[in-house]
Order: sequence, then C-alpha cells, then structure tokens
Amino acid sequence: MKEKMKKSIPFFTLASSFLLSGAIFFLVSCAKKDKAGEKVLHLPVSAKIKGMDPIYTNDRYSVNAVGRVYEGLLSYHYLKRPFVLEPNLALAMPQVQDGGKTYTFKLRPGVLFHDDKCFPGGKGREMVAQDVVYSFKRTIANPKALGWWVIDGKIAGGNDFREKVAKGKATMESPIEGLKALDRYTVQFKLTEPFPQFLYAFAMTFFFVVPHEAVKHYGEEFINHPVGTGPFTLKEFKRTNRIVLHKNPTFRKKLYPSEGTPEDRKEGLLADAGKQLPLVDKLVIHINVESQPRWLSFQAGKLDLLEIPKDNFDTVVTPSRNLSPKMKKKGIKLHITPALDVTYTAFQHKNKLFSNLKLRRAMSLANDPHISNNLFYSSTALVAQSIIPPGIAGFISGFKNQWVGPDVKRAKKLLAEAGYPGGKGLPVITFDTSASTVSRQIGEFFKKRMDLIGIKVQVITNPWPELQKKIQTAQTMIHSLAWGADYPDAHNFLQLLYGPNKAPGSNGSNYNDPEFNQLFESIRTLHDSPERTKLYEKMYKIAADRLPWIYGVHRQSFIMTQGWLKNFKKMEFEQGTEQYLSIDLEKKKQLQAHF
Amino acid sequence: MNIWIYILRRTLYIIPILVGVTFLIFVLFHLVAGDPTYLLLGKHASVSQMEALRTELGLDRPWFVQYWDVLKSSFTFDFGRSWASKQNILDMVKQGAIPSLTLTLPAFIIGLFLSIAISLFVSFHRGKPIDRVVVFITVALMSFPSLAYILFGQYFFGYKWGLFEISGYEFGFPYFIPYVILPGMIWVAVSLGPDVRFFRTLMLDEIYQDYVRTARSKGMTERAVLFKHVLKNAMIPIITHVMNQIPFLFLGSLLLESFFGIPGLGSLILEALNNNDFPTIKAMAVLIAVIYTFFNLVMDILYTVVDPRVRLG
Repeated sequence: MKEKMKKSIPFFTLASSFLLSGAIFFLVSCAKKDKAGEKVLHLPVSAKIKGMDPIYTNDRYSVNAVGRVYEGLLSYHYLKRPFVLEPNLALAMPQVQDGGKTYTFKLRPGVLFHDDKCFPGGKGREMVAQDVVYSFKRTIANPKALGWWVIDGKIAGGNDFREKVAKGKATMESPIEGLKALDRYTVQFKLTEPFPQFLYAFAMTFFFVVPHEAVKHYGEEFINHPVGTGPFTLKEFKRTNRIVLHKNPTFRKKLYPSEGTPEDRKEGLLADAGKQLPLVDKLVIHINVESQPRWLSFQAGKLDLLEIPKDNFDTVVTPSRNLSPKMKKKGIKLHITPALDVTYTAFQHKNKLFSNLKLRRAMSLANDPHISNNLFYSSTALVAQSIIPPGIAGFISGFKNQWVGPDVKRAKKLLAEAGYPGGKGLPVITFDTSASTVSRQIGEFFKKRMDLIGIKVQVITNPWPELQKKIQTAQTMIHSLAWGADYPDAHNFLQLLYGPNKAPGSNGSNYNDPEFNQLFESIRTLHDSPERTKLYEKMYKIAADRLPWIYGVHRQSFIMTQGWLKNFKKMEFEQGTEQYLSIDLEKKKQLQAHF
Repeated sequence: MNIWIYILRRTLYIIPILVGVTFLIFVLFHLVAGDPTYLLLGKHASVSQMEALRTELGLDRPWFVQYWDVLKSSFTFDFGRSWASKQNILDMVKQGAIPSLTLTLPAFIIGLFLSIAISLFVSFHRGKPIDRVVVFITVALMSFPSLAYILFGQYFFGYKWGLFEISGYEFGFPYFIPYVILPGMIWVAVSLGPDVRFFRTLMLDEIYQDYVRTARSKGMTERAVLFKHVLKNAMIPIITHVMNQIPFLFLGSLLLESFFGIPGLGSLILEALNNNDFPTIKAMAVLIAVIYTFFNLVMDILYTVVDPRVRLG
C-alpha cells in the first residue's frame, strides 16, 4: 500500500499542479483592461473617500472627489500663479457694491445638471440662481456641515436663520436677508461687514451647487449619489476601493486655458489651449492606503501619476533634486511644488512660563529644523522662517529669521538670560502631539534637541480627538501641529495668531499680542493691494521675531508623472483639475514597451 | 435533549451576550474615547457647533437613554449611519464582507485541506527524511513575518514577473478572481506552517493509539486506517480549530486587504476606532458576537456528529 501511495503522489501532484496553473492563468486573464483608443486616466488616492456630499467635505480626498462632479461659482485658474480666481458657473466676477458688503453674481445660462433619475424623465435640468441659494442654505441650516466657519456671522441673517432652523421655527424655504436669487440667473449676497476673503468661499467645495431634487430623492444616500454640473459623472463608487467617472456628455462649453506663464508654454502646457474640456473619456481613481502597491503600480505603468512615497524617495530622486536616470529613461517626469502649509510647535501662551521671550527664542535656537527636514521629510521641505508659506502674498523671499536654529551656543546664553541657566528652575515641559509614529519621532527629536541646553521635555502622544480637546481647552504646554491653507491668502495663516481667535477658536496657542491684533484688524477689510501685502509682511516679521511658535517647515510635493500624461501642473486646490489632463495614447504605447 | 430545544436554548443565550457586549463597548467608549465632535467637525469647529452636533448625535442625553438606544439597535440590527463617513453601516458591512470572504474563504479552505493532507502524510512517515523536511519547511514558513510574504509576493509575482495583479479588486464573478489569487496564496503560505504543525501533532497523538494497531492487524488498508480512524478521531480538535477561525474570515485580513487594495472589512474596525465612530464600533462588536455564537453552536452540533459519545445538554 505504501508503495502504491508513493507512486500515485508524483502523478497526482504533477497533474494537479498542471491543472491548477492552467486555471490560475486563465482566471488572471479575466482582469478588466482599458478599451483601445479610449483616453483613461488612472490616478492613485491614498485614503478612503468618505463620500461626495459637498457640505461634508473637509479632507483633501473627499474635496477632490466632489470637485470632479460638482462646481462652484468661481474656480482657480489652472495655470496662473499666484492663484487667481476666475468665473466658473458665474458668467463673470461678481459686482461688489456697498463698500464690499454686497456681492452680485450673474450665472452662466444653459448649464445643465447631470442626467439622473431624480429629475423628471431622467434629464438634468438647467442650474439657476435658486440652486445657489439652496446650496448655501444647506450649510447654514445643518449643524454637521463642515463649511459653516467660512460664513459664520458673515451673511446678513444667516446666523438667525440657523438658530431658527435648530428650534424648528424656520425651514429651508424661509428667506435669508443676505442670500437672494434676484432672478433666474442673478444671485446676491449681503454681508454683515466687508470681508474680502468671502470670494474664496465660491471656490470651496462646501458651497458647490447641488440640485434640491437630488438631495430630496436620495435622502441620506445623497452622499453616494452626486448629481452636479461638473466635467465628470459618477459611474461607480466603491469608497474603499475605486471610483470610476465618465466624461459628462452634457457638459457646457468650457475650454482649456489659453493663458499661462512662458514656462508653461515651454513645458507644452498650452498645447491644448482652446480645446473643449474634459480632455479624457474616463477617470479611474484607485484607492490604496499602502504606499508599496501604489509605487509598484506606477512603476508598472498602471498609474499615470504618483506622489513619491517617503520610503522610495532616495531611490528615484538624486541629491540635486533630479530624477534618477532609470526613471528618465522611462519618460517619467518630476514635478516639485511647494505646498501652502507650515508645521510648527506652539507655545501655550496662557502658561506664564512662555511669556518669557528669551526662553522662547532659546528653545527655537536649540531646535534644528534642518536635521528634522532631513529625518522626517527626506530634505524635501523648506525650513520655515515665519508663519506664511511661499507662494502667497506676505511671504518674504530670502528672509532669514535670526531665531531659527540650530545655534546651541546662543540658545544656552539666552536661556541663562531668561533666568534658567542650564535649564535650572524650569519644570519638565510636556510636548503634546498626535499618536502617529512620525509625530512621536518628531517629538523625540525635539526632546533630544532641548536636552542639549538642559531643558527636560516629556513627549505625550494623543489620539487625534484627545489632542484637539487638549488644545481647545488650553491643557498643553507646547504642542506640535501643521496648518494647510484653506484659501491662498495670508489671512488664513495670520488668523491663527489673532488674540480674539483664542481657544477653542483657531488660535490654539492663545497668543495675544496687541500690536499684531491691531494689524490683523486693519487688514480684515482690505482687498488685495500693495498696501495689504505690506501689512502682511509686517506681521510676517513680527511673527518671526516674537516667536509665538517654533517654526518647522513648509512641505513640498514631489510628484512623478508618466511621459504620456499631458498638461499636469500641481495645484494646491486641486478639485476638478483632472478635466485639464490628457493622455497621449501613441506615446503611451511607445513608452510602455520599456516597462 | 432534543436538538431543536438545544438550538433554541443556545440561540437565547445571544440575549445576555449582546447585553454584556454592548454594555462593555458603551462603557469603554464613554470612559476612554475622546469627544467625537472634534474629529467630525474638523479644524474649524466652534464650541456652539460642537454642542449642536452633540445634541444631534444624542450625546447630551442621560447615559441610560443612550444605552437603551444602543441595546435597541443591537437587537433590531438597525445600526444607522457611521458618524465618520455618513454611510449606512449595514451597507458598509455588506459591501465589505463579500470581498473579504472572496479572499479569505477559498484561501482558508485550500489551506485547511492542504495542511490536513500534509499532516496526514507526514505523520504516516514520521521520523523519516520527508517528515523532517516538512517540519523544517513549516518552521521556516512560520519564521517570516506575514508582511515579508506580502512585500515579496507583490514585488516578484505582481510587479517583476507580472503574473498577477499588483493590487485592486473587481466586484462580480469571475472578475474578482485575478485580484485574490496572489493574496490568497500568501494567506495559504502564512497559515500552512502553524496549521501543519498543529494537525501533525494531532495525527501523531492518534496514530499510536491501540485502535490503530488493532485496525492494521485486522488487515485494513492504510488509506482506511488514516481516513476512517485516525482522521475521524482527530476531528474534535480540528472542528474546534476551524470553527474558531470562521468568524474571523468575515472580518477579512487587515494587512492583505490594505496592501492588495481589497475593499473588505479588515480595516473597518481600525478605522472606526481611530475616528471614534461609535455606531460602527458597536455594529461590528454586535456582529462579531452574533457570528461567534452561531459558529459555537454549529461546533457543538458537529461534535455530536463526529463523536457519538458527545451529548448535547
């Protein structure tokens, strides 16, 4: 019997292996492929998409998802930098009257919502002024809406309407004094006071235009059934896996921009000028949280662009910030773009210890943002000198903050002058940060730097909600955070240090400097002008000199694109930018031979 | 005891189990977790907005009223919507369970049959070179962390040799198959080591029993000895092992799903914990408890099938 078993095993193994391999290779061939001749963009996303209801979008990924199907009255010019707002659903920029308190928009006629079963006969109807009013009202009436901060106290009668809705004394049909559809194509906003940054609201996804029919028809499922006016219509939405969008067949006449910088022209970014958007037939968003599969898929030519993962950075980018020859050979291009953000370590100014400016300066000098940049950002970031990032008015190019470290010798001297020679007399300083590995490592590095001048630091990691709670209730001594721009205006950064915005407001460090506050109040009603830029620069210098925070870095994005991807220009506010991208199918065929 | 009465009695056990599980989750969430409104409203949240949201979520009501709601939803399976993603939780579970099962179930079944077959084979050849080689291989398989299998498999089989998809998933048969073969193979490779060693020990415990010698002396074939006697007598621990693993198949595999872009349930609980998303945490805890109780019941019934000495009671 034993002999029989011995003989039958190799035959059985061989036969089953043969059958199994055949079955596997047959089944592998079942994977879906793009149709020949179809321009399909394959883009990666590194987080799960929460949903596509504009009023609930505040993370980058959901914002981008919303921007593909919905639109706002205004949008950012795709090529111009610094960022410039231009009409989108609006026919022209608004008429601003009444000393900056009244904004009147004329809407583009003939803009259609996507065909959807929520409309009679399934045909999308025309977008009109009442839709804009309705879309703003959704944020005003809903306590869970995430864009309320933009218009809180700004629209005349808005706060009153919100309170009445909460008490059941008003409905979505009730009027709001400062938000009216004057006729089919005219909408007017009246503000409680002049607010120049109000214009940015119209390019934010919170206020993108939705039809009331879809909200009513889908109810709570509206989050999964977007019906907008945008360049793409949703075909498949698996929030943890993949989003497929098709070119909107009823998209209005919208052309690729014909203006840009000479550099854009040189890069070929104006080659498609005047062409009808969107330029591709289909968009496939691949959601993958882990970096290795994204990296390998890009290398295999299955993704059209990729933000370089930290772990792979040194293998593809040379110290001189060029692509490796191997990547260049594949036709891959590198795009380096500064992000509008700043990382920082904030002092808790309610704690009397940190009213000592010399102590703050000593700690800043003991810190080493250069090594930190190297350790945590592979030297891809720019060391911050103050609060405003490069790329927006108020940032002073070439400005060198004398209190940004490392200078341990000066730090020790200042610490002694502050009354704490060698750290004597100082309590252990707690450093609160979020619970991620990198945040903890950044904390440990800071602790090590402070050790050099005798300051004892204890790193405390917190789950994100706990950290927020501590900051909002002023329970931290120092805490580490980052701030990304909501709109391209220094106002969005400077308000973080404005005294009256103290915790639980956005000024979590509770910095309260009368001179800074006064300057901030003077810029609140100023429109973009050289005068306002001068004031921004003055505040930039004050923030650099008085160190309400220890400044970290301004991060930069390093993106690789395949040689066949056309018109890519990184945009901080990237919602809907896929409409400008295109695929050179011929080149793709040629280059893929090298993969 | 009549089997139907037994099933009814065991089904009723689910009531105290659910009360206990929900109470534990409720207490833990309210004691340990932070305020979810900070996360839900983002960096610009105002105090009044947070208060309004707390009211809307019902977090300002007395604890017993909140707990009653939790209990009610657990018995009606109406878990509502996720606080974080605003998605219907049951839909999220349904959408995730299918990809998870398409990966874990075939891999589990293949792994189970392979490991039982190998362990039977090597226990038959105990002490011989083939047994030593298999033991060596299983120890080697166990020595690598599962992440190493994933990184290696994805790099070589997916990228370098282009044999399988690197990542992704398609819903519907047979489109999902190309995407689950490689992660499925990794699942089998990872589970093969510990399973073969476990089953081999079980088989060896049985193979030197008196009844095996008796069966052989009666002239029974080796195949009959192995399959009719040894395997049948080893079934009780095998069933226990299998039934304890099945509930986890529904939950998917966190690492495999995340690396291979399979939209399963693997990361749902982790994501919910990170977001303080209580409705999702509650729903998953209740579902796990129900599935676990169900498979424990099946396990007890199967015991009586494979071993007549076992009585339900």
